[in-house]
Amino acid sequence: MTARSKRLKIAVEWTLMYLLLSFFAFITIFPFLWMLMTTFKSSRAIFAIPPVWMPDKLFKPGMWDNYVTVFTKHNFIRYTFNSFFVSFMAALGQLITCSLAGFAFARMEFRGKNFLFGALLATSMVPIEVTIIPEFLLMIRLDWINTYLPLIVPSFLTGAYGTFMLREFFANIPRDLEDAAAIDGASVFRIYYSVFLPLAGSALVTLFVLAFINNWNALLRPVFYISESHLRTLPLGLMAFKGAYESQWHLLLSGSVISILPLLILYIAAQRFIIEGIATTGLK
Amino acid sequence: MRYRKITPYLFILPMVTGLVVFRYYPIVSVVVNSFRRWQMPAPPYWIGLGNYREMLGSAQFWLVTKNTFAFAGLYVPGVVIGALAMALLIHQKIPGISFFRGLFFMPYITSMVAVAMVWNWIFATRFGVLNHFLKIFFHVTDPIAWLADKRYALLVLIIVSVWKTMGFQMLVFLAGLQAIPRSLYEAARVDGATGWQVLFRITLPLLSPVTFFVVVNSIIQAFRTFEVTYAMTQGKPLYASATLAYYVYENAFRFQRMGFASGLACMLVLFVALVTLVNFLFKDGWVHYQA
Repeated sequence: MTARSKRLKIAVEWTLMYLLLSFFAFITIFPFLWMLMTTFKSSRAIFAIPPVWMPDKLFKPGMWDNYVTVFTKHNFIRYTFNSFFVSFMAALGQLITCSLAGFAFARMEFRGKNFLFGALLATSMVPIEVTIIPEFLLMIRLDWINTYLPLIVPSFLTGAYGTFMLREFFANIPRDLEDAAAIDGASVFRIYYSVFLPLAGSALVTLFVLAFINNWNALLRPVFYISESHLRTLPLGLMAFKGAYESQWHLLLSGSVISILPLLILYIAAQRFIIEGIATTGLK
Repeated sequence: MRYRKITPYLFILPMVTGLVVFRYYPIVSVVVNSFRRWQMPAPPYWIGLGNYREMLGSAQFWLVTKNTFAFAGLYVPGVVIGALAMALLIHQKIPGISFFRGLFFMPYITSMVAVAMVWNWIFATRFGVLNHFLKIFFHVTDPIAWLADKRYALLVLIIVSVWKTMGFQMLVFLAGLQAIPRSLYEAARVDGATGWQVLFRITLPLLSPVTFFVVVNSIIQAFRTFEVTYAMTQGKPLYASATLAYYVYENAFRFQRMGFASGLACMLVLFVALVTLVNFLFKDGWVHYQA
């Protein structure tokens, strides 16, 4: 094959690939684009037949009206705060619980270790949709309904994935580091806290970000546990908003953008951690 | 490192507490409650297999079960084929690929309620943009009632679910592709194998353990479908788009039938276990492990 025909072949291949990539990209991005565009339309423009592509309020005075309305008149400031608070606490809790357990499973010997680890991993086979009823009845008995607690405590204390991931990470840390600290007279907790945790920085960030995302988007527990307006997280608030303002799409979708945007920023900032975290541990 | 015998147990104490209270106690409890009638707020009492008998005799239960299997039957191939195609593309070394990788994963991290909102708007009957497209490009003049027609509502939920989770499974496939030794591809190239031969003789067989993982995982995802149903159709019209996990929620939360809903939850686990078992039985036929 001559150099020229080879180059031609590569050009054709690349064009084909970019075409396919663009096809998938279009499918992925279109709903988000349509969402964003609708939020810059007036209530008149959204019901135009045929649909208008160009939002009528874009770059005009009153462009942000829909967002201002949603934020100030429909409690979305409060929902956003609730989502932040709940997701942050639950993710922080997972870091503590999973790193403590992961450290013990990786670095210490004790009776029942394998059994307990197996019992932990086995729970990932049973989805929360199955266990939600007893959990709900338990929360009623604890009188935790309509508090932040049922949204935080269960995911604070459970984390099969996180424990597994951190155990793997801690198990790969050379023994010398542990021994050196022990010779210096450091206690076990001290070794965990000042030697192992700092080394696990990237794994901890990955776990925190994934747990934050999961809790931010969680719907099932808020549906069961929260009925008071001021405690709603964003997904729940958005559902309630939809129930009250059916077909006010410009406002509803402004609410959607508000609940997606913080995660999108987090995703762009921490993309490396998220993608690596899933690529390396999703398989095992 | 020296430590007292009790120290490791103190380290795992928070996790074990969570495990017992929020995982194992509920698993036992849901089984026990499935043998009770428990119409809240009245106290529960034993009815033995009553809930299961009621289920088997209920046309609605069978409809929901049928929907659940139909959902899984379309969702799983949709996700596997879509994610595999995306992963094969993303695996190519061409400029700008990491941008596409980041983009394709994006739907997975967004809130289902938020994206369900825009999908509801896209699939809307009169003002929806999809029906508009269909009219322009395919001359479909009668607008289709995607969410209100019992032929289409479940399909819409499947499409949205596939769209949302494909990016995640793409990453899993991608990790699998990166683990295939390069030397095999080089050997194939020296032997003059075509692109399709490489795909079917090397890539897919060596990827099959990953594909198996994705299939098993997607089946579990399909059976636990709740959010998309809750956010888009609430099972309407007339349970045509209701699947089991949603039906559990409805019976527990809306009708306060804790015993019956527990029975449904047990059936859900049973179905997942059965399908996974079948999967493992047929595994040897198509899954190849590297020696």
